[in-house]
Amino acid sequence: MTMLRENQTAVVARNEWWADGDASEPYEAGWASEAMVFLRALDAQGEGGRAVVQVSPDGLRWVDEGTRFDAPDRGQVAFARVREFGQWLRVRMELPKGRRVKVLLTYNLKS
Amino acid sequence: MLGLDRFDPMKRIICFDDFDRGFCGWTQLVGNYEHDLDSMLPGYAQHTQPQLSNVSHWDAGTHGSVDGTYALKVATRARAGAQNTAIKRLTFRKPGPIRLEFYFTFKPEATELVLSETDVRSWGFLYDLQQGDLGDRGGSGDRVMPHFRFLNATGGKHLQRWQYKDQTTEFKPLGTQGKTVTHYHLAPEGWKDLPGGEQKLCYNEIPTKVNWHYLRFDFDLRTMRALELQCNDRTYDVREAAPIVIPAMRNLWCMLNMVFFVETDVDKRAMLYIDSVCLSGEF
Repeated sequence: MTMLRENQTAVVARNEWWADGDASEPYEAGWASEAMVFLRALDAQGEGGRAVVQVSPDGLRWVDEGTRFDAPDRGQVAFARVREFGQWLRVRMELPKGRRVKVLLTYNLKS
Repeated sequence: MLGLDRFDPMKRIICFDDFDRGFCGWTQLVGNYEHDLDSMLPGYAQHTQPQLSNVSHWDAGTHGSVDGTYALKVATRARAGAQNTAIKRLTFRKPGPIRLEFYFTFKPEATELVLSETDVRSWGFLYDLQQGDLGDRGGSGDRVMPHFRFLNATGGKHLQRWQYKDQTTEFKPLGTQGKTVTHYHLAPEGWKDLPGGEQKLCYNEIPTKVNWHYLRFDFDLRTMRALELQCNDRTYDVREAAPIVIPAMRNLWCMLNMVFFVETDVDKRAMLYIDSVCLSGEF
């Protein structure tokens, strides 16, 4: 029997207001070789800033993976492609003072 | 089927989910809402997606599951009292005895170099059921939600006992269309001790060593009553442990949902891992 690739859409953060330094919960997906990281702004205040993809050896300690993208404005969806991220993923916000984004963070993961 | 021999199923396998084969239909339990996500109750808003985990730790690497690599992981947020769940949604075709079996383990996130055996407050399972629209009462049947949990600890006290719940919170209407309501059946209030339900489980000696446990729960969909609960070497008669019973809802006929949940007692993530699940029925 042909085995199809595992494919999951994970909604990792939903309807949460994020400010500078806020990050998503750790998400474990060592089975996946690729991820699309979608960040939708359900609402937003202020302008500018960016989202930073982070990886981790253990889900406890985080380092920048190197991928970063502009934080979306209200109603917008921003995304990034990530590969070879190991086992753990999270997204951390780097936002100017007064900027907040109400996020819907979605990973599409494929084996 | 490979892996099924570690279960004692009834005659019909309804589903056999080994998480080495993927998510097998287990997903996140999103709360009800209408028009605006802000209308979701906070207890549900905290829920996140379950994960496929190989049970790895910072000090010892990958632990793996019972007979492979992956287990379903339900992880709370790192805030005392935080809960999370995983759900699988089915319907039933025969109102009779069913048996839920699964292999599980639970641990706090290993953020401290101490035993941490009282950091996980509780974990448990529930069914969300509704009788068929042509049931015994001509379609005016009940929605029935048997809840069981293992209360591991509260406030640093290692309690280790089984509890059940027979009441939910008040119903709250959502939105403006008069079609959607919500209630928080996982509220921390209302749990009752199962008589004789103390049980010491294997926790092991540091927070990164896990041991898998077996659980079996028998329930009768005809009488809508619990029958028997087994965890490892202990068996409990749970016929007196009443489920939550609420009026039938307009769209839920023959619903058979299974839910796992976990709750942390400290500002640290609590993890419930499920290696595999077998749901079977006597038909």
